[in-house]
Amino acid sequence: MSQSLRPYLQCVRSSLTAALSLANFASQASERHNVPEIEAASSPEVLLNPLTVSRNENEKVLIEPSINSVRISIKIKQADEIENILVHKFTRFLTQRAEAFFILRRKPVKGYDISFLITNFHTEEMLKHKLVDFIIQFMEEVDKEISEMKLFLNARARFVAESFLTPVSHGWDTHSHEMIADGHSLTE
Amino acid sequence: MATVNWRTINIDALDPDSPANFDLSSLSPAVQPVSAADVQSLAGQIRQLLRGGDSEGALQGALENPPYGGDEKAKEVHLATVIEILQSIRQADMSPILSRIYSAPGGSEALDVLMKYIYKGMAQSNTSAASTSRNLTPQATGFSQIHSRGGGEGGGQAMSVLLSWHEKLVEIAGPGSIVRVMADRRTV
Amino acid sequence: MAPPEVNHLFHHPIADHSFSADRQTLAVARENNVDLFERSGSKFQLKDELTGHDKTVTGVDIAPISGKIVTCSQDRNAYVWEPSPEGWKPTLVLLRINRAATCVRWAPSETKFAVGSGARLVPVCYFEEEDNWWVSKHIKKPIRSTITSVAWHPNSVLMAAGSTDGHARVLSAFVKGVDARPEPSAWGERLPFNTVCGEFLNNTAGWIHSVAFSPSGNALAFAAHDSTLTVVYPSAPEQPPKAVVSVSTQVLPFMSLLWSSESEIIAAGYNCEAYRLQGSEQGWQLAGSLESKGRPGVQDQREESALNMFRQMDLKGKVTDDTKLKTVHQNTINTIRVYEESGGNVTKVSSTGVDGRVAIWAL
Repeated sequence: MSQSLRPYLQCVRSSLTAALSLANFASQASERHNVPEIEAASSPEVLLNPLTVSRNENEKVLIEPSINSVRISIKIKQADEIENILVHKFTRFLTQRAEAFFILRRKPVKGYDISFLITNFHTEEMLKHKLVDFIIQFMEEVDKEISEMKLFLNARARFVAESFLTPVSHGWDTHSHEMIADGHSLTE
Repeated sequence: MATVNWRTINIDALDPDSPANFDLSSLSPAVQPVSAADVQSLAGQIRQLLRGGDSEGALQGALENPPYGGDEKAKEVHLATVIEILQSIRQADMSPILSRIYSAPGGSEALDVLMKYIYKGMAQSNTSAASTSRNLTPQATGFSQIHSRGGGEGGGQAMSVLLSWHEKLVEIAGPGSIVRVMADRRTV
Repeated sequence: MAPPEVNHLFHHPIADHSFSADRQTLAVARENNVDLFERSGSKFQLKDELTGHDKTVTGVDIAPISGKIVTCSQDRNAYVWEPSPEGWKPTLVLLRINRAATCVRWAPSETKFAVGSGARLVPVCYFEEEDNWWVSKHIKKPIRSTITSVAWHPNSVLMAAGSTDGHARVLSAFVKGVDARPEPSAWGERLPFNTVCGEFLNNTAGWIHSVAFSPSGNALAFAAHDSTLTVVYPSAPEQPPKAVVSVSTQVLPFMSLLWSSESEIIAAGYNCEAYRLQGSEQGWQLAGSLESKGRPGVQDQREESALNMFRQMDLKGKVTDDTKLKTVHQNTINTIRVYEESGGNVTKVSSTGVDGRVAIWAL
């Protein structure tokens, strides 16, 4: 897998490095305000062309830069419905805790699973190349996380199914009720 | 008038002097209009070169004549031409070709154009590939193990060509070239 | 080349800085205040704080002769600070703008200054003796977006303004009663207020970060957010320019630039280091970085296990995991200014950036 993962991450890295050239910019639209222009979209001249980096149809990154903020949206690989559910639960868990993550956007951009919003205040407070590292690491970890969860889920399902079906082949035993309860928790 | 929800009217859009109505066309220098037929005939000439084995000449020709003034159709045709050339060049030849183009007069501009096509290619074939493959795979059921993770999903092959071009191109043209893709209002 | 003199003042971005003419006082914009540092040996000691703005200060400039300090901020105000026995005394400037002020520069004559603003205009301010305050006249006409930087021609009449609408403009800021009639130059002969002497746009049309006139005033350079640096040589009034040389660089955009002589420009920005560009009407090119590569203490990289190295390459697409950049500045350089001149050539420049460092470079 790393055969094509490396160029993909490398491409995201260089695109992000270029896009994270941010400056402090006060709003032209409203007095005494300083808002992320990419979200406000009130001055078209300070928005730049969005960039898409994709590895395949299921994995892509959308980078929408502007003068004082960049919105980064990631589409996480989802090969089947189980992964759909896992990704949905996982990103929901994160976005509900967005205030603790600083750069996380509360709602992903349409068509993507998770979005980040980096403003000039973030690049001032944190090192820019470390922010890039963070995004790259996140992309890498989230794939691994989902894979692991899926394996774990499949193993658990297999175990449950085995235990559940054991009584059918060998007659009832006392553990069966517990196992059924387990099986239910899986489908929540 | 009862149907108009006046709370949601964007009054900035109605004010010709507001920053929201910035005239973006003032940001792009005059470009010559190109018809789709011209682009088509250029594509024919370039294919001729490509068949003759002169992929470098073909690439150079394609990058020197980006259809900035063309309509969507013309741009699509030219994108297909560029992608075809890129796919025909072997990985080992990428860097030498790029550095030769870069050192030629107007080379940095040609590479900026190439960078635009790489990003456009990644954004483009994404949408088209996604729509076609959705028709091909009738259903992906819960525990299906058919889609092995990390396999060559749809469009993955074409993407990995673009990604490796991107990597080589950044080595030569630097992040400045990515910045120009974002800033330039003349899109390919 | 001597290593640069680096001082880490604080952990806040420095939007702008200015040294006094004797190089003993350094004014830096820090959040809502302007900090005045006094040089003591190789260090800078905090001496005074100019408080009064209630939003981020975006510009500060010390007049070399009179020593007056002008500051401007996103709260739409500008103040002129004058030394008095009780400390620095601010005077509010009547800018009459309804958006943020973004930058401020004294004219070489020190009788007026220009303020860039988000209100799509440039107030040119001068002192009204009768009413005893600073008033402003607005340059408005062709400007379509926020002004990001202003620079003065040596004759104190012409002014260059860079804007987020991608244009760098040369405008007349002639104020009757304040300025003497200027000598005709290649930019124009008759120069009533708000005359547009030139309007320049790059092909790639990024917004402008910085503009500067060459020491003679006969060339204009501007850096834009498309990683280009463009130099314009005017030919005659009302004529298209003699030459427009645009350099597309490989590095990230420049935030600030200055002319060290007629044939050399120093520019710095998002790459966190300062670059030297050389050229003339025939062409310009990037001549290299001001950073000396062999600085001790930066090159020594830790030996790493092969496994770790490959893992890093695989996972993150890079070889080493380094927190510290190899450049002197650890974040974007916002401002680069002339520190010392001799014989018409700049010999030392100072730079400040988002990382709160001030560095002084010998050229």
